Amino acid sequence: MEQEFWINEHHEGAFPTIAVGGEIDVATAPQLRECLHRTIAQGNATIVLDLLEVSFLDSTALGVLVGALKRCRELGGELHIVVTDPRIMKIFEITGLTKVFPIADSLASAGVSS
Amino acid sequence: MTDLDAADALRVGDRVELRFPARGDLVVLARLVTSAISARAGFDIEELEDLRLAVGELCLLAMGGGGDRHGDLSLEFSVSGEAIDVSCTLAGAAGVGRAPGDEVSEADRLGEQILSALVDEYGREQDDGSSRSWLRKQRRGHGA
Repeated sequence: MEQEFWINEHHEGAFPTIAVGGEIDVATAPQLRECLHRTIAQGNATIVLDLLEVSFLDSTALGVLVGALKRCRELGGELHIVVTDPRIMKIFEITGLTKVFPIADSLASAGVSS
Repeated sequence: MTDLDAADALRVGDRVELRFPARGDLVVLARLVTSAISARAGFDIEELEDLRLAVGELCLLAMGGGGDRHGDLSLEFSVSGEAIDVSCTLAGAAGVGRAPGDEVSEADRLGEQILSALVDEYGREQDDGSSRSWLRKQRRGHGA
C-alpha cells in the first residue's frame, strides 16, 4: 500500500539531517530535490539523508540523490545515506550506487548522534 | 506463490489493461495494479516487489523522463505460462524525449539499469505518434 510521503529536517550532531518517509518517486522526488538544494545553498556541504522510513524509491529519486551528491562534493562535502530496508538497499546495489554513496545503517554510524 | 485463493489466480492468456493520464503522480496506479496482478500470476513477494519497481520504470521510460505528458498511458499485462509481459504505450507522444538536464539523463540511465537487473527482457520503441516500452519477466526457476 502506498505510504504518505514526508520530509523532516533537523540539525543534531555535526551535520544537518533530512529524514524522509514513504515513497520517493517521480511525483515526490521534486520535494526532496528542493529540500536538498536549499540545505546545500544554506552552506551545508555535508548532509545526512535518513531513508529509514522510506518504503519505495525509483530512478527519479536516485537521480535527485546523485545530483545532490555532486553539489555536496563540489563544496568539499558529502551526502551520507542511512538505510536498512533490504528492498531499498537492493535498489542502491543493482544501480551500483553503494559504491558511490557513503551508506550507513544508523544515524549514529553516519556520524549523527541518535 | 503468494497466499491467494486459486479462484483469484490469473490464468494463461488472461490480460488486464489499465489506462490513465500520463502524469507522474499517477504512476503509483501502475505500481498498485502490478502488485495485484503479480500476486495473482503466481510471483512470490520478492518478484512482486521487483515487478512493481520495474513497471514504474517502464512508465517513466515511455514518458521519456518522467515529467507530465499530454495523452494517456496504456498498460497491458499478459500472463503467458511462466511469465508476465507488460507493455506501456504513450499515445500521441509527439515531442516525447528526454528533458534537458544532467539529473534527468542520470535518472534515465539508472532506470534502465534497474530494468536490466530486475526483468528478463525489456525494450522501447518510438515512432511519430507514440512511445512504447515493454518488459517480460519469468517466474523464479523458469528463467532462460
